[in-house]
Amino acid sequence: MKTLTKISWRNIWRNRTRTLIIITALVLGIMGGVFSAALRLAAEEQQFEDAIENMISHIQIHHPEFLANPEARHRIPDGMDLKQELTQRDGIKTVSARTVMDGMAASANMNTGVRIKGVDKKAEASITKLDELIVEGTYFTEDWRLPSVIIGRALARELLVDVGSRIVLTFQDIDGGIISASFRVEALYAVTSRRFEERTVFVTANVLNELVGENTAVTEIAILLDNVDDYREVTKELRETYPGLEIRHWADMDPALHYALEVLDQLLIWLVGIIILGVSFGLLNTILMSILERVRELGVLLAVGMKRIRVFAMVVLETTMISIIGGVTGLILSFFMIRILNNRGVNIPGGEGLEDFGFSAVLYPSLDTVFYFEIGVLVILFAILASIYPAWKAIRLAPAESVRAE
Amino acid sequence: MKTVIKTSDLSKVYTNIAVPVHALKNVNLEFREGEFTAIVGPSGSGKTTFLNVIGGLDKPTDGHVVIDGVDIATMKESKLFDFRLRHIGFVFQAYNLIPVLTAVENVSFIMLLQNQPKKEMERRAKEMLEQVGLSDKLDVRPSKLSGGQQQRVAVARALASRPDFVLADEPTANLDTESAFNLLDIMARLNKEENITLIFSTHDQRVIDRARRVITLVDGAVDKDEHFERD
Repeated sequence: MKTLTKISWRNIWRNRTRTLIIITALVLGIMGGVFSAALRLAAEEQQFEDAIENMISHIQIHHPEFLANPEARHRIPDGMDLKQELTQRDGIKTVSARTVMDGMAASANMNTGVRIKGVDKKAEASITKLDELIVEGTYFTEDWRLPSVIIGRALARELLVDVGSRIVLTFQDIDGGIISASFRVEALYAVTSRRFEERTVFVTANVLNELVGENTAVTEIAILLDNVDDYREVTKELRETYPGLEIRHWADMDPALHYALEVLDQLLIWLVGIIILGVSFGLLNTILMSILERVRELGVLLAVGMKRIRVFAMVVLETTMISIIGGVTGLILSFFMIRILNNRGVNIPGGEGLEDFGFSAVLYPSLDTVFYFEIGVLVILFAILASIYPAWKAIRLAPAESVRAE
Repeated sequence: MKTVIKTSDLSKVYTNIAVPVHALKNVNLEFREGEFTAIVGPSGSGKTTFLNVIGGLDKPTDGHVVIDGVDIATMKESKLFDFRLRHIGFVFQAYNLIPVLTAVENVSFIMLLQNQPKKEMERRAKEMLEQVGLSDKLDVRPSKLSGGQQQRVAVARALASRPDFVLADEPTANLDTESAFNLLDIMARLNKEENITLIFSTHDQRVIDRARRVITLVDGAVDKDEHFERD
């Protein structure tokens, strides 16, 4: 084995240029694959954080009529008790009870339809990190005469208002009567979805409940799970436990984003697959060329009595060595590339348009160590597969003819 | 003297071409230990086919090749590999050394495949390179050696593992006169000293003049089998 390794090692350096070219192709292929995988993960994680966790949470519970008519009268029966129950449940990280309804927001200049969310400021900070999304102003701390409202940056632009401006919110109370109340803009928040920024305003639940006429009104319960991958299972369990309520997970609530993530997932799997296949064929071609150049030499090995299995192993070993050199170099360079890109961020071309769909225009790729390991194993595995055909060719040579080959 | 190879009614027909070619026709020969034999004949007379068949590189269509009491004509291919490794030495026209190995590594190679002890293998490889006058080229790769030197390494490789016999296919064809004589001197000396049976296929009169037995093949059949007294 030692001699076989020695011969294989020396063989791969016989045509230094060709070996270096294929190693470079491997390195670039791995970097491309790692970059794609890291981007995919960043897209998934960031979209989750930005679009799902910061805006709609993993699971939401409503009154069955609420979705068709988002009004205060369609509230969750005993909503606060349900919230307490859910808090105790395994697999659930945080629960926020909200009073949500559709209404109108008007400034001195403009008016527009909005969704008004009455929230518990502490619970909301822990579930959607609303406090961290503030780009101007403060998070429900001002003690003004008028109650505070936090609006999206895009809505502020549309209504031509700023922090400190007064706006009027109009909505229905629990009996269906129309209520208008003045609020002062305490802060502007920013998220990746422009539509969300334009459509959603936050006030405190106690202020809103007082206005709609019921202090404990809950129209929406938002849930964050310990593990987001369990969302289908937990939703199913909750639907079985609370059959009278409308319970939806994030993919139900934002199917476009769910579909977009799935498409992105598929595209990137294909991309990584194509890169690895391309590199494998390059490797196959290189090894095959080197076999065809060494017909006489391989014929001698077979003639003097070197068993076919050893010749086969020698060719596979040569390919494995090239793939290990290229693989390890590629993974080390990829590691540093991802670290740099993680600090600087990757601008997605045309990213402004993507924000309308809840996608961030800047992604921060990152990868777990296990991914590097997996990609490394994948590359070596494909390289070994790519070596089988040339190795097979090598051992099918007829020694008597091969030793006289030109 | 012990019989090393015995062929009986050896025939070889190539049928994978438009017109079948009878490369060997009922060849009956016996080679004894220590013989120095040249197989001669015009191109296409069957010299190379004969060496391939008695070297276990090709199967005869008919007949037997008995080496050391074993008929290799009926031997399975997997067993033939091992048989060649342990019983037969090869010297090829184009030297055919392994280019990535040094001279000493090339000479050790067959012994290595035979799993001989490392120390013994190294001692023997150095001894053989000394015998062929290349003790100063132990760690030199083939590309840095002249044609004559490469062929001497090839001879050392073939003989180092002490095979029952050595088959040399036109070993001097690519060498100049001086290198060819030098190589023949070495082979003649090793033939005597190591008592190794040497069988050459050749056109080269210089080889024929040194051989103690000359077998002439014509159209795949033995035309003449002459014995000579040489020093």
